[in-house]
This record gives sequence, C-alpha cells and structure tokens, in this order.
Amino acid sequence: MGKQLITLTVNGDEYELAVASHHTLLDVLRNQIGLTGTKRGCTAGSCGVCTVNGERGEAILSCLSLAVEWDGRSVTTIEGIRQGGELHPVQQAFLEYGAVQCGFCTPGVVMSAKALLDVTTSPSEDQINEALAGAICRCTGHIKIKKAVRAAAAVMRDNEARDDG
Amino acid sequence: MQLPRFEYVRAASLDEGLAALAKHGADAKIMSGGSDLLVNMKMRLDTPRVLISLGGIAELQDIEELPDGVLRIGAGCRLTDVIAHPGVSARFPALRDAVAAVGSRHVRNIGTLGGNLCLETRCWYTNQSEDWRKARDGCFKTDREACHVIKTASRCHAINSSDTAPALIALDASVVLAGPAGRRTVKVLDFYRDDGVQHTILAPDELLVAILVPDDGRRAVFAKLAQRVGLDYAAGSFAASLRGPADAPEAVRLVLNAVGAAPKALTESERLLMASGLTDEAIEAAALGARQSLGEVTNLFTPSGFKRRLVKALIRDALVTLRDQTA
Ligand SMILES: Cc1cc2nc3c(=O)[nH]c(=O)nc-3n(C[C@H](O)[C@H](O)[C@H](O)COP(=O)(O)OP(=O)(O)OC[C@H]3O[C@@H](n4cnc5c(N)ncnc54)[C@H](O)[C@@H]3O)c2cc1C
Repeated sequence: MGKQLITLTVNGDEYELAVASHHTLLDVLRNQIGLTGTKRGCTAGSCGVCTVNGERGEAILSCLSLAVEWDGRSVTTIEGIRQGGELHPVQQAFLEYGAVQCGFCTPGVVMSAKALLDVTTSPSEDQINEALAGAICRCTGHIKIKKAVRAAAAVMRDNEARDDG
Repeated sequence: MQLPRFEYVRAASLDEGLAALAKHGADAKIMSGGSDLLVNMKMRLDTPRVLISLGGIAELQDIEELPDGVLRIGAGCRLTDVIAHPGVSARFPALRDAVAAVGSRHVRNIGTLGGNLCLETRCWYTNQSEDWRKARDGCFKTDREACHVIKTASRCHAINSSDTAPALIALDASVVLAGPAGRRTVKVLDFYRDDGVQHTILAPDELLVAILVPDDGRRAVFAKLAQRVGLDYAAGSFAASLRGPADAPEAVRLVLNAVGAAPKALTESERLLMASGLTDEAIEAAALGARQSLGEVTNLFTPSGFKRRLVKALIRDALVTLRDQTA
C-alpha cells in the first residue's frame, strides 16, 4: 500500500510526486501541489466542482480519478487557463455577466464550458446544456451562466476570425 | 468522502489482468473507468484489498466493424468514444442514445461501456454514505439477511440502472468473457442474474472483454426517464427492437430496466405484438401487460408506485415512436 512515483504535468509544469494509491487526482492537485482552485464538493461525481480538463481538453471529474492513473499525463486546472496574462474569455464573460454567486461551483463550471468551447465556438443550446449538466450551481440557476458561455463563444469566434484573417 | 486504502495493480495486458485476478481472487476488484466503483468504495460498500486497473490495456479500447457486420466494442471504451464512433451513430442509433443517456458528459468522459454493463446495483438504502447507512442495521448487500426496501424480501432487489443494458439486449448483443480457461460468449440478457448482490454471471476470475452487436436488420429505440436529465439514474428505462414490417413483425424484443436487479425481457408483451403487429390497441395492451408483470419493485430515488405508472407510459410512447419510424 506504499506510495507510487508519478510524473504529472499540470498547466504545463511537470511535477514528480509520490502519491498514495487511494488518493484521487483532486487530492493531489489540492493537497500535494497546492492548487486549490479545483474544489472538493460531493466527491461522488454528481456536482462537478472538481472538474479539470484532461489531455484531450475534455471535462474530467478529478474526484473520481485515481492520481496513480495520471502518471505521464497532463491536466489543466482553473489556474492554468489564463492566456498571456489575460483572463480566458470564459472567465472574462463570467465576470461581465455576473455568472457567479458564491463562486464555489465557478471553477468547475468554467472548466466544463471551456471543454465545450475548445471543441466548438458555435455551440447549440443543446450542446451547452449537455456540457453543463454535470456542473451544478446550487445558489441560483444557470441562466447567467449560459449567457456568459454564449458571450465567451462569441469572443472566441471573433478571436479565431482575427487569427485566420 | 475519502477512499479506503488498497493495493493498486495496473495491468498492461489482458493476460496480466487475468493473472492478477487469479492471484488475488475475492480480495480484488476490477476497475475500468472507476466512476461507479470509486463511489461505492468511498461509501464503503466495497473495500477491496487489491484494485486491478484495466485502464492501461489497449486491446480493450478498440471499436471494430467486423466483416460479418458485427460491431465489436472493447469493454474499456469510454462512453464518449462510443458515441463519437461513426458506425455506432449510423447503424445503431438506439445504442448511441442509450450511451448518451448515461450520467453527464463528465461521467461519460470517464466511464466505459464494460463498466456500464457491470454497473453495481443500488437501492435507496445502499446508495448512501456509510454514516447514513449506520442509522439502521445492514442488509443483504452489506452484512445481514434483511431488506429495508422490500421488507418481506428473501434476497436483494437492488436496482440495475445500466442504461446500455436494455439497448444492447434489444439489439441481441453478446458479451465476450475471458477467464483462466479461455473465452465464452453469452447473450447480454443471460449475463444478468436477478439478484442484487450477485447480479452478473461473471466468475470471480473472469473479465468482460468485449461487446458484440450484430446487424440483423433490426431497428431499435431507447427511452429513459430520470429526475435530472443528464445526471441521474433512470427512474425507468426501456428499449425495443423490431425486424420486418410493423404490422407483421418478424421479430420483436422489449426490455425494461431500473425496475429490479436484472434487466427484464417482456416476453408476454413481445408475443402479443408478434401476433397482432404494432397497432394502437396492441401497444396499449403490451404496455399494460408489462406494468402488471412487474412484481415487487424497489425504490431508488423514485417510489415504486411512480415507477409502475412510468413503465406503462414509457413503453407506450417508445413503441409508437418505433412503429412510426418504421412506417
Ligand atoms: C454522477 C453519476 C451519474 C451516473 N449516471 C448514470 C446513469 O445515468 N446511467 C448509468 O447507467 N450509469 C450511471 N453512472 C454510473 C457509471 O458512471 C456508469 O455506469 C459507467 O459507465 C461505469 O463505467 P466505469 O468504467 O466507470 O465502471 P467502473 O467503476 O470501473 O466499474 C463498474 C463495475 O464494473 C466492474 N467492471 C468494470 N469493468 C469490468 C470488466 N471489464 N470486467 C469485469 N468487471 C468489470 C467493476 O469491478 C465495478 O464493479 C453514474 C455515475 C455517476 C458518478
């Protein structure tokens, strides 16, 4: 039951860590690396506050993933999505649209939205609903959150058009 | 909730996985995606001494279209990847719908098809933290000959909530199991046992390797109702398939899940539809017959009375959809 040595890349930085087999990716991110932006909520996959992005940019529940399974892999957390010192368009839109109340769910919702917008910057209503269904805001509702996601999508589309043109 | 301690073994191949299983036997538990197992371990429903991870076995992660039309899906394929596979969407839309109905996107990015078929059964008592359960004595599933949900029960009735099981049964799919003595292939329907404690026929030294979906011209539909779409276990789920014209079927298969420990083939209702075709009257009678055949129904989030009413509506609507698709 000893510890295992793993190499984990978080937000582009490589860490060598001795992790206990029963520790989740969430445990290691928060308690060993000190990145506490990723939150601990239900710890059973239902609330989505622990969402990070995996190697393909996909939304992953860090509470239901063993840290030892991440040896040699890379993960992106809320702390790693700023672009060149600027907030990520999703973060910026959450600020502008007040899509935050107590803020506890925000990192997980932002990472869930980013996973969607990294695949498509023109998501349908259904796609937005699907992407956010696993990340729950308990303070209010998802109306402002969805407004912010649509606004972020528009900004990202503009950025793409500028980069292409 | 924190995980209990265990020894972690990562199998690099199927042979390594089988060898580890043979060595550790009943002390070990298999982990594919872990989205079911780790929750149960956190709730101390499972405290294996050894956890054998299949995550590193490449041969479990392929989806192949075989020359005879069979779609072969490795047990370790992520649900997201099954949905994205063009052969699944094009040829088996009901399977795609069933896979897409499992949990949230987040869950489907971790969970696998094999894990979904082996999904542990649950009821409102067992699907709780250890502290919560301690308010009462145990049950068949934990450590005592008793059931808190159906008081007169002589066995565990915990519910099978797998969304893909009914769809795969309706499609007449099989599973390939591997053990020390070799491989065997069984129909998905026969993979299950109507006992919430030992709900599959998997031997302690066996692994689920692949799912085989034949293409025999059936059309199928899948329907599910859950409290929160995109997160919750089914209050009821149903799949149906039909070969031949709707008014003179060559084959009909009706499968209900989330009502008992095993998916339920509705053989009486199937016979009825075979005899008279999918007319409005026959559909109504098939749905009613299914409701009446339920027997004792376990509560998991939804009371059993609601489940019974739901079952009838779910079946009726899905059969109308199937018929109208075919017309
Ligand atoms: C919030 C949440 C919502 C969910 N909603 C749904 C839902 O709506 N519908 C639904 O069906 N499921 C749901 N699930 C359950 C689960 O996530 C899925 O069923 C998933 O597909 C399980 O796959 P896995 O690979 O993660 O399984 P694991 O957790 O790895 O395994 C599940 C079980 O199968 C056994 N097992 C796994 N692979 C094999 C194998 N190859 N051979 C032998 N035994 C094996 C394990 O020992 C374990 O007992 C939900 C889970 C969560 C956390």
